[in-house]
Amino acid sequence: MNQISNCGRSLELLCEMRRLAIWIMAITCLVDLSSCGTTSFTPPPVTVELVRNGSDPHRDIAMLSEGRALFVHRCIECHTLPAFWRYSTEDWPKIVDSMAHRSNLRPAERDAIVAYILAVRGQ
Amino acid sequence: MSFGGVRHFTFLYEANTLAPGSLELENWITWQHATGTGRFDQVDFRHELEYGVTENFQTSVYLADWFYQNDREHSGFAYSDTALELIYNLTNPVVDPVGLSAYCELKGGDRLIELESKLIAQKNLGPLILAYNTTLESVWEGNDLSERESEFSQAIGASYEVSPRLSVGLELLHEFVFLEWRDEEKIRNLLVGPNVSYRRQNWFVTMTALAQATDTKDEPDFQLRTIFGIAL
Repeated sequence: MNQISNCGRSLELLCEMRRLAIWIMAITCLVDLSSCGTTSFTPPPVTVELVRNGSDPHRDIAMLSEGRALFVHRCIECHTLPAFWRYSTEDWPKIVDSMAHRSNLRPAERDAIVAYILAVRGQ
Repeated sequence: MSFGGVRHFTFLYEANTLAPGSLELENWITWQHATGTGRFDQVDFRHELEYGVTENFQTSVYLADWFYQNDREHSGFAYSDTALELIYNLTNPVVDPVGLSAYCELKGGDRLIELESKLIAQKNLGPLILAYNTTLESVWEGNDLSERESEFSQAIGASYEVSPRLSVGLELLHEFVFLEWRDEEKIRNLLVGPNVSYRRQNWFVTMTALAQATDTKDEPDFQLRTIFGIAL
């Protein structure tokens, strides 16, 4: 009788572990989807070329890096990040302005985000 | 007044934290319904004040949690507890492989102490948000706090942004309940259901309906949670 109940418990534990393994595999697959055509949604890192790409003489690596960090942290509090190409270079500053207060952005932070977006948009 | 953030899920937490200086009030209403011989209805209310301390750290106070219960033996309102919550964001769900945050909550009430910790994982893939929470909870309650219970749970959710104001998705909750910190009764609950989230200028409302896929007695067969958040 003990053997039978032990078998039952072992089978149950096996089922639970199998279920957990399926969860882990499912999560891993879903995370891996980020390499399947969705990398266009990942804001590009700041490089020297990105800084040079544009007409604004005031922006530098530090400003664009701060802009990127704020863009990926503050903006996702309320919504997912839209693709850069969705809006024109004329529209982006107005869009950021309309949401700056909502996301508690200081003027310098707002400028950094706009500078980063326009640098990427201009590539 | 700045808006802290939107919840896309109600039974899961997301990895991102509030901007520094943001203050938000969230009101939670959870209706739990059980059928059969142990039939009951319970409506839980929570009122949460969230505050962004730094870029990666937020704290919350759950003011009086209270509930209304209606079962075969009695019905009425009762105060449950008050809680303090801390969330620290470790990585970003957009630019890092996985966004991670650590969560801790301490709850105290009438003959009740509860300690809860979570690991929050999130990945944003364009308009799609995927979230995973794993939670360990320990409860001491009753006279002399001698009754003990713990729970290990994991939850997974997906939310898709249909428009800038509207998201829809799914949530799944898997619970392991250990009465007296033992696994003698093998209590396992699996709940699954859809969610919807709507947001405007400085407020949002998110709703999730979960149905129990297992058949655990004394556990609700159906839960409906609504969270309404507004910037202060």
